[in-house]
Amino acid sequence: MLRRVFAVADTCFLIDWARFRRRDLLFRLFKTVFVPEDVLNEVRSEGTIAWISSALSRDYLALYTPSQDEVNEARQLIEESRLRPQIPSVDLPETICLVIGRRRGYVVLTENRGALLIPRYVSKYSGVTVWRSLEVILAAILEGVIKVDCSRPDEVFNEYSRDTLHIFPTKALSKAVEEVRRKCLGK
Amino acid sequence: MLGEVEPQITEEEREARELRRRLADWGFINKQPPRIREALKYYVEKGDIRRAARLAGLTIEEFRELLRNAKIPVIV
Repeated sequence: MLRRVFAVADTCFLIDWARFRRRDLLFRLFKTVFVPEDVLNEVRSEGTIAWISSALSRDYLALYTPSQDEVNEARQLIEESRLRPQIPSVDLPETICLVIGRRRGYVVLTENRGALLIPRYVSKYSGVTVWRSLEVILAAILEGVIKVDCSRPDEVFNEYSRDTLHIFPTKALSKAVEEVRRKCLGK
Repeated sequence: MLGEVEPQITEEEREARELRRRLADWGFINKQPPRIREALKYYVEKGDIRRAARLAGLTIEEFRELLRNAKIPVIV
């Protein structure tokens, strides 16, 4: 699999990911993870700020200042999402990430269900790649960034859940664990 | 395509709501001041962290910590 270069992360992703014992694996999957200024403004806790500032100082994270045009598109996307009852509420920090993902091809990292659903429901964003921590962990395993104990293919996902009190939906987790099993079997 | 996605989303949402209801520490939730209590109950039902945080008058990160204290999992 080709190494992806850039990602852009929203608040919901960062505040959970910062608690994960293997959080720095993110920087082995992506050369730079951008953090929009609106997202940074929402982060308040000492632990998350400390991790972000350490990663900024190592150039693994970088601040992203959106253009006025990107902000305008992000506001339009908020309006569009309000017209679709299937999409839970999203706000500027998430929609800016989606706009950056669409325009620049960055992988969007989010734990916001609204942001996750937008590519499914808003055709303009159907080409945007949106990953939750589930997909990040899976990619790290499949690309050999994390070595797994094949007798416990769900171990790393469970570690994340224990560290963050974040549970993955059963079907999505089963599918990911099945992919890990297949890797273990060399398929 | 959308027809295939819809039922799974509904099923995921139902599973998530049931887990939030079951795992939540209701003793903790019911001891909170009204605004916080109602925001936590709203989150249990809807799973919408942005709106719930606004209801509580907290930032997203502060509300996320409150969810941990209330043993309410985030399921995404």
